[in-house]
Amino acid sequence: MISLPPSERDLHAYVDHQLSDADRRLVETWLATQPTVAAQVRGWQQDAQHLRAALGGTLQQPANPYLDPALIRQRLKRQSRRHLATAAALVLAVSVGGLSGWQARDMTMASAQLPMTDAMQAYRLFAQQGVLPADYKVNADGDMQHWLDRYFTQAHRLPNLSAVGFNPVSGRLLSTEQGPAAMVVYEDQAGHKISFYVRPPGPENNLLPRGSRSDGELQAEYWSGGGYNYAMVSPTTDPAAQMLKKTVQF
Amino acid sequence: MNEIDEHLREIIPRMRRFALSLTRNPSSADDLVQASLERALSGWGDKRADGDLRAWLFSILYRQFLDAHRRSRRYARMLEFFTGRDDAQPSVERTVIAQSTLEAFDQLTTEQRALLLWVSVEGLSYKEVAEILGVPTGTVMSRLSRARQALRQLSDGEITSPSLRILK
Repeated sequence: MISLPPSERDLHAYVDHQLSDADRRLVETWLATQPTVAAQVRGWQQDAQHLRAALGGTLQQPANPYLDPALIRQRLKRQSRRHLATAAALVLAVSVGGLSGWQARDMTMASAQLPMTDAMQAYRLFAQQGVLPADYKVNADGDMQHWLDRYFTQAHRLPNLSAVGFNPVSGRLLSTEQGPAAMVVYEDQAGHKISFYVRPPGPENNLLPRGSRSDGELQAEYWSGGGYNYAMVSPTTDPAAQMLKKTVQF
Repeated sequence: MNEIDEHLREIIPRMRRFALSLTRNPSSADDLVQASLERALSGWGDKRADGDLRAWLFSILYRQFLDAHRRSRRYARMLEFFTGRDDAQPSVERTVIAQSTLEAFDQLTTEQRALLLWVSVEGLSYKEVAEILGVPTGTVMSRLSRARQALRQLSDGEITSPSLRILK
């Protein structure tokens, strides 16, 4: 039960029909004796009514089919894969950018970025940490090449590593500062992973001579051809990778 | 699912109205509703509040708008480039004397518009509004009181534009 005279809050609650019946009657009786306050309250009530009337028409606008819940559910399902790829690209861009910034500060050299840093970052994120599910998974032989050809038509063929026990299992699409990239992960029976990474050489057309380098626990073989840059990334310590380095000619 | 979708379909016109009162632009409003529905439907299981579905959706929409608004202010130039218009109206224009309640309403701050729409138009309880804004009920009431006074003054044309005063 409110007390008289009603507080301003009580008056607002009265306008908004948020008082109990008893309180509402109490306020009404009191307002009958207070013309100034009653006029103020009537003003608020009128504004609310005007607002309801003015905004009422908006409810009648024709339905927008794009906003139908069933359609949005479908779209969400379709988009989830693409969203994940976008998220991956963001993660990648952030980590590579951070690294190159650090190197630029550290080395103060013109081309601070070491070759195919993004390929190694991608290996860490997707092959080692498995932060995001694959965009594409192999279910029959030859599938992976077909998938890759959809995005990189002129690119080198995927190396055949079955001689050393590695076969392509999954593919991911990424976007990098240099352009769209794809990473194909190979796996052997023991679960060791090697990645094949392909992307454009970037706006400066930074083609690479055949080379290799290691960064932490990872080893990258890189080269260019067909208008793209490539890298094969594997753990340095992996015996299969050692063998790979000796046996496979890119 | 179907039952929930039916319920959602009933609320969508209200979401569009709320979005329109925030963005003042029909196509941005529908974009906002779409983004909010996507968020609502993708976080359905874990985030849904026990209370009123409408209040929960309003709360999602309001947050989305505030986020987008912050972003758009940060990237105002970029936005202007893409859309050819500037959503954030200059303050001088916004102080021009209002002729009707709706015009007055459009000049209120974002939060005041949201408050009045929730309480006066949608009839949400103070408690529901307090939950949406994450503030105590008492705070909702004092902010509502300020919003009402502002609307009253603007509707009556009691506020003179600073630019007009300079011209005198």
